[in-house]
Amino acid sequence: MLSLLIFFPLVGVLVMYLLPKRVGRTVATVTSGVELALAGVMALLIDWSRGGVLQLEERVAWVPTLGASYHVAVDGLSVPLILLTALLTFLSLLYSGVEEERPPTFHAMFLVMETALIGLFSTQDLLLFYLFWEASLVPMYFIIGVWGHADRVKAALKFFLFTRLGGLALLLAILGLYLGVEPHTFDIPTLVRAQPYAGTSTAAALILLCFLIAFGIKLPVVPLHTWLPDAHTDAPTEGSVLLAGVLLKMGGYGLVRLALPTVGDMLAEWALVLAILAVVSGLYGAAVAMAQEDLKRLVAYSSVNHMAYVLLAVAVAAMLGAGSEARQAALTGAMYQLVAHGLTTGALFFLVGMIARRAGTREISKLSGLWGAVPVLGTVLAVVMFASLGLPGLAHFAAEVQIVLGALAVWWWAAAGMLLAVLLTTAMFVWTLQRVLMGRSDGLKGLKDLSAREGVTAAALLVLLVVLGIFPGPLAKLIEGATEQVRAAVLTRR
Amino acid sequence: MNLPTLTSADFFPMLPAIIMVVGACILLLSEVFLSAHSSRGYQAVLTAITAVIAGVVALKMVFEPAREVFLGFGALDPFSSFLTFVVCVALALATLTSAGFLRKRGAERGEFYALMLFATAGMSLLAISNELITLFVNLEVLSISTYALTSFLRRGTRPSEAGFKYFILGAFSSAVLLYGAALLYGATGTTHLTGMVLPLANAVRTNPALVYTGALLVAAGFAFKVAAVPFHMWTPDVYEGAPTPVTALMSAGVKAAAFAALVRVFVTVGPGLDPQLPLTLFSTLALLTMVAGNLLAIPQRNVKRMLAYSSIAHAGYLLLGVAALFATAPGEAFSLLGSTSLGTTATPQAVARAEALRGILFYLLAYTVTAVGAFGVVSVLERREDEERGTAWDLERFSGLAQRRPGWAFAMAAFMLSLAGIPPTVGFLGKLLIFRSAVDAGLIGLTIIAVLSSAAGVYYYLRVVVYMYMRPVPEGAHALERNWMTEFALVVSTVAVVVLGIAPGPVTEWLVQAGHLLGR
Repeated sequence: MLSLLIFFPLVGVLVMYLLPKRVGRTVATVTSGVELALAGVMALLIDWSRGGVLQLEERVAWVPTLGASYHVAVDGLSVPLILLTALLTFLSLLYSGVEEERPPTFHAMFLVMETALIGLFSTQDLLLFYLFWEASLVPMYFIIGVWGHADRVKAALKFFLFTRLGGLALLLAILGLYLGVEPHTFDIPTLVRAQPYAGTSTAAALILLCFLIAFGIKLPVVPLHTWLPDAHTDAPTEGSVLLAGVLLKMGGYGLVRLALPTVGDMLAEWALVLAILAVVSGLYGAAVAMAQEDLKRLVAYSSVNHMAYVLLAVAVAAMLGAGSEARQAALTGAMYQLVAHGLTTGALFFLVGMIARRAGTREISKLSGLWGAVPVLGTVLAVVMFASLGLPGLAHFAAEVQIVLGALAVWWWAAAGMLLAVLLTTAMFVWTLQRVLMGRSDGLKGLKDLSAREGVTAAALLVLLVVLGIFPGPLAKLIEGATEQVRAAVLTRR
Repeated sequence: MNLPTLTSADFFPMLPAIIMVVGACILLLSEVFLSAHSSRGYQAVLTAITAVIAGVVALKMVFEPAREVFLGFGALDPFSSFLTFVVCVALALATLTSAGFLRKRGAERGEFYALMLFATAGMSLLAISNELITLFVNLEVLSISTYALTSFLRRGTRPSEAGFKYFILGAFSSAVLLYGAALLYGATGTTHLTGMVLPLANAVRTNPALVYTGALLVAAGFAFKVAAVPFHMWTPDVYEGAPTPVTALMSAGVKAAAFAALVRVFVTVGPGLDPQLPLTLFSTLALLTMVAGNLLAIPQRNVKRMLAYSSIAHAGYLLLGVAALFATAPGEAFSLLGSTSLGTTATPQAVARAEALRGILFYLLAYTVTAVGAFGVVSVLERREDEERGTAWDLERFSGLAQRRPGWAFAMAAFMLSLAGIPPTVGFLGKLLIFRSAVDAGLIGLTIIAVLSSAAGVYYYLRVVVYMYMRPVPEGAHALERNWMTEFALVVSTVAVVVLGIAPGPVTEWLVQAGHLLGR
């Protein structure tokens, strides 16, 4: 089942190249639709009450001499992100129908990336993890570099170089883990059970440093974030959606899946520094977003703010011993935040794309009175921005509240700092709404409102944002089952 | 006087080389019967088939137990057999790209292929040489063939310049190597590598200056052949001036053979030396070569030169693997002496050393299929008219290639990603194996530098991809001729790059064997 889920998009790619060019996009969209359905079936097949257990496990020898196997399985950490990936890929391909005509290769890139991402979120083997990690990089590089906006080649190169550097750091960390156990293995569950780097040591510190560089670049954390605004701004709309919606999640997922269970004690040692970095990132992201003139850049910087919560949650979780309520809250919040951010930022980039295509500009100062000109689009934008600033009843609130509550148990100042960041984000989004939606709409007269295709894209995300905001229960329970396992893995401290 | 008896078993390890020499002789003889205008298409095919047969024979030999042959002058071991396989792969692929290349220039001659075969036979023999004079003679067989190949196209100044430069510096480096060998002989009274260990250990105590000068000179000679910094100065000019298929064979085959000889010499006599010496030596060379190779490649707009510098950088990663060989083996100095069979007590160091050897061999194979493929794409894009002006290999040549020849562009993109070490390509697995043994050997700092410099390398590899996929086709671009043999070679390389990167399968089985070097 999982292998089918991972490799089905590649079948779609094959079919695309066998059929004539003009049906390329349709084939791609249908493929990703079927893939979404498959992901749904997968979600139905698993037992939601046992999120901490690896389910639908598949395992075959791959490079036995290296101790690497094709080992895939899902648990409460992976299922939400797989669903998110399938949904956002489908919506991106659906949405790409409203943009200019693009060659089949463009859509093929999305399917290849979908395989890489779903593979990444479901693998239990470090070498395979690394393989998928890097494999997701290449299609995104082409998406930005070939089909992006003005400064695309530079942005794509910057994106590639940063993430490649992170990838190599990840490789070193993986090698460190691999060499830490006898017999050498890349198997994640085996490594977590063996705990070769429990306690603090130079080796553990080096591995953690490598993990932090790799995941810190992806997440991103200040000061490793400089690739993000360029890449997000210059990517085509569909590219930005996946970049912000899913690719950033790889960093958070890596921290929770790999760093915390394997070098948790070392992480606790460094937790204070990470918490400070997280608060700085949170404040910096919000403050810099406020200064942006370009609507897309603004959304991009708001991601820096949102992802800072994840880092804070990981730092908090590392500090707190097993069995602590606050630890549980923080970690569950972190995973929930990944999903919520995927949905809101995905929606925001779609909306910015729709606005830019209509108005011909993304400059905030030139966009006033959107509400008057295109009321439906304006309303959706308002709701999504409110979701993004953490309004109760919408998805982000549930996540951020848990993380801040968890942080309160360790460092009151970190919680306070994050609350200040929330305040800044609120101010930033409300001010943006005021500038974009209100005012006279002279310049935007005669614009068409949402088309059916755009409406479906926006509505799907909107509904999920509300549902996850009002009923966080089932998903949170699934994630909780998994985060309990992460907690159990950290054995020896204090 | 007792004449030593040689049996057919003594000739057995030379079988791949014999096959290639026979192939070369057939080519030379058949050339006699051809007129200037006869079709010579069969020559490339014949060479490629010879290379494939030799390669298959070499693979079979990987499973032979390691033993000394020819009274100790040669060593049959899985390591050398796998290496012979690698050079045969390089030869087969390079030959297939030669036919179209030579035909475009009206230079298709049997001598070219014969020289390629002789050079590769030399590489194969170099890999099994276990005695310094034999080693030197085989190195010369290989070198002289490549000198001639470098200036094979006599039109224009570049080939002669490249050939002359290569010859002068190559002869110089051979002399340096020979001088080092002579010093080692003076210190030990023998030229047999295995017999040298014990006298060497005595000589280190009585006359260290002699031994170390000798070892350093031998290392310098090899460093020249593998193009390690600071002995790399000749590489860009020679690689640029040589016919592109020859460059491919040089960058893959010559380097592989030189690495084989270097590894054999230093691993075999290593126990007689202070283990710190080879470690420091190869770590330093690796550091300089990786960093300089990658940094110097960045400003290159000439793709052929860029690949030359990239080949230097890859020699650096290989040297990292060589350094790992010595870091893993402190203190085991005499324990394995004299045991020439497999399956002796496997100490952790021996296991780690076998892993490092496998890493080096796999990396050589990975680099071979990738680099020969990349040079193949370069060769189909160049035209003789542009060579004198030096624009034949400009990045502009690659502009919009994805629209004109999607297949070539895809192949080149795969090669570039593989050279950059990005999964799921074979280049990644090669780097993984090398880095693994380096980390295992405790060379953490050096591995981090390797990682950083290979991150810098991504920039210049990706630039080629940028030109192919993100630039428009330039106006007035000349037509691109197709050639089925070259395209076949590209398909084989591309499939190898991707398939070996995802499922190395049988190759890992051969590799498990190939970690065994005679006596180690």
